[in-house]
Amino acid sequence: MQDRAETDRAARAGEAGRPATPPAVRVQGLWKRFGQQTAVAGIDLELPAGKFIGLVGPNGAGKTTTLSMVTGLLRPDQGTVEVAGHDVWRDPVEVKSRIGVLPEGLRLFERLSGRELLAYTGRLRGLPGAEVDKRATQLLDVLDLAGAQHKLVVDYSTGMRKKIGLAAALLHNPEVLFLDEPFEGVDPVSAQTIREVLERYTRSGATVVFSSHVMELVESLCDWVAVMAAGSIRAQGTLDQVRGEASSLQNAFLELVGAGSRTGGDSLDWLGGKR
Amino acid sequence: MSVLDAPVGAAPGPAGTGEGLVGVFVRLKLTLLRNGLRQSAGRRAAYITSVVFALLIAASQLLGLILMRGNAHAGALVVLLTGVLAVGWTVMPLFFPSGDETLDPSRLVMLPLRPRPLIAALLAASLVGIGPLFTLCLAAGSVVAVAHGAAGAVFAVVAAPLTLLLCVALTRAVATANTRLLTSRKGRDLAVLSGLVIAVGLQVVNFGAQRIGQAGGLAALEPAADVVRWLPPASAVGAVDSASRGAYGQALVQLLLSVAALVALLWLWQRSLVKLMTAPDGSTLAAAGPGREKAGKDGSRLSALLPQGRTGPVMERSLRYIARDPKTKAAWVTALAIGLIVPVLNALQGTGSIYFACFAAWMLGIQMYNQFGQDTSAFWMVALTISSPRDAYLELRARALALLLITLPYTALVTVVTAGVLGDWGDLPEAMGLSFALLGGMLATGAMASAHFPYSIPQDGAFKNVAPGQAGLAWISIFGGMVSAGLLCAPVIAVTIWLHLADLEQWLWLLLPVGAAYGALISWAGLRLAAPRTADRLPEILTAVSKG
Repeated sequence: MQDRAETDRAARAGEAGRPATPPAVRVQGLWKRFGQQTAVAGIDLELPAGKFIGLVGPNGAGKTTTLSMVTGLLRPDQGTVEVAGHDVWRDPVEVKSRIGVLPEGLRLFERLSGRELLAYTGRLRGLPGAEVDKRATQLLDVLDLAGAQHKLVVDYSTGMRKKIGLAAALLHNPEVLFLDEPFEGVDPVSAQTIREVLERYTRSGATVVFSSHVMELVESLCDWVAVMAAGSIRAQGTLDQVRGEASSLQNAFLELVGAGSRTGGDSLDWLGGKR
Repeated sequence: MSVLDAPVGAAPGPAGTGEGLVGVFVRLKLTLLRNGLRQSAGRRAAYITSVVFALLIAASQLLGLILMRGNAHAGALVVLLTGVLAVGWTVMPLFFPSGDETLDPSRLVMLPLRPRPLIAALLAASLVGIGPLFTLCLAAGSVVAVAHGAAGAVFAVVAAPLTLLLCVALTRAVATANTRLLTSRKGRDLAVLSGLVIAVGLQVVNFGAQRIGQAGGLAALEPAADVVRWLPPASAVGAVDSASRGAYGQALVQLLLSVAALVALLWLWQRSLVKLMTAPDGSTLAAAGPGREKAGKDGSRLSALLPQGRTGPVMERSLRYIARDPKTKAAWVTALAIGLIVPVLNALQGTGSIYFACFAAWMLGIQMYNQFGQDTSAFWMVALTISSPRDAYLELRARALALLLITLPYTALVTVVTAGVLGDWGDLPEAMGLSFALLGGMLATGAMASAHFPYSIPQDGAFKNVAPGQAGLAWISIFGGMVSAGLLCAPVIAVTIWLHLADLEQWLWLLLPVGAAYGALISWAGLRLAAPRTADRLPEILTAVSKG
């Protein structure tokens, strides 16, 4: 049942894709095992360029592992990854200059101030000092971090860290931006700021790939969605394609990951019954 | 109106009276202790072992001190011992900030307690435990060692408990005054640096002990004891000594000094306690002032001096981390201190040799090891910008340059100072040449070890420098590396020995340029070899350094 849904949707996604430009990301037969545990079980994924793409799945589905392998931070056991037509492992020079990354669960250089972090990242990316300064100033202003620019990142709140991480990822104007859980633990004000910056960035033709397990967020932001569960891709395509007949992405998602029927049966039938 | 100002009568039960409160707190402490031990057999075993151990040490010290009775320098020894004990009690809360939950004022904020009975109760509760028992044994032993005659006995009976009370009050006053500091990020950074205090302190104690050994035993203690015997709580023990010798006036002044110190400490403790319990902690609040500030220009003068391209920013970040990251800072300050202390103190004692100055190069060279582990998982930011062996070479070279900016002048300085102390100026060029060669060897092997054997450095705690399961890796990296660094320098060492043996001493100065050139050459070769391995192994390095 799920397999059929996957092939159907994958086929439709293929028709919708534009063959003229290379996809932002093309993943083929990607595997990763940690000891006995298979984190990513041979996924194939083709993410179109210029879209706002959501990678959704429950906790432990393999989203972070996949994004780490796609961005070159984790070596896959098997499979190939291409970003904008270049192989991540064979052609790192082309790929690393084209991508921006905001990983989850990895530290930043926290003993630098926000501004120093941006200056360091920008100059490491090979931008001239004056240009880094100009871009950093604008990013700090837009992301509402100007007041904290001279504070050490170690003293930043979660939302501020996500924002400074986003600024560092955007600094070199990448073609494809990978964000792992960019809204996790972020307050609504910061979330709105991040959202506005990302929407503006995709309007310029760039691609944003972000992982999340908040369906409402994905539904309101993304025009392309890939659903992941237990290390494999359950569906991928435009929002409408993945949603299918379901009333919301949430319901479609629950059905796809096989969690739809868990509330049925007579378990817990005493709950709310006669006291 | 604050909680502390609430009328006592409003509080029901034992909180109303001072004595009742003391009982409550002492019982609370005992209950917490018992419940803690009930949690696991391992914890119980550890506790019992430590009690037995502490009591054995205390008993042996008590015995030793009683045996000291009659020794001419017993007075000096017990006074200094009490001084050391007091220092120990003072710094203890800085090392173990979360020591005692009965004494954590933040847990008492909601209770209607007046400060004075609260202080009395907290002080009484602090007296329960192994530490106070140990201290009491030591204080008792100290006064027994020096008390002679009826007056001595009278002073002794007062001095021993007074010493204990002073020690406990000292530790509580320091802990309470520092509660805010110790729960903040800056305070935790400070705690990481405490390992350093111990490392450097041990060196000083070691050399001090050697000094005593050389300078004819306990008599060497007298000058220090003459000062310390006037400082509380050592002055209480000093009072017993004075009274025994018949100097009653001096004894009284010394004892009063200790009493005054106790009163002052209790007052300070009460003041910071009241402040802590009534004023809110503002350290986590955002500034309420004008929130939006325009981002200005980056006014870094350092970056203007450093080279452009990758080298500048990497050096700048490395240097900033030496100054700002507690772990890196602790490692550096330890290396700098020990690198200077070992050759210079040995030289001062006449046991040294100018070749000991190489120790500085060796200690500082270790900082090149596990470069990426020092980045922690933030290494991803570096990994994402390295896409060729050339990038990796520039990255490693910049880190080595940042290191050299400090180590090169420092090594030269230590060698010159050692030569100056020894008066051995003739051997200065060869010793410096050897140091530079060794530094080059350490940089080369350090770069290789950073690429091949990276490991995580946990960020919390002063004494954990390797993540669990990676200790073997760290030992291989550092010890294998240091042996290979020594082997790499073998040609320079061989030339030195040959010049000495062949009576060609007039050419020994040549070792300075040769050593420097050789050091530069092997560091360059090491960086060249390490760069492609680093570029190849980026994901593996990131995984290895992300375990902390």
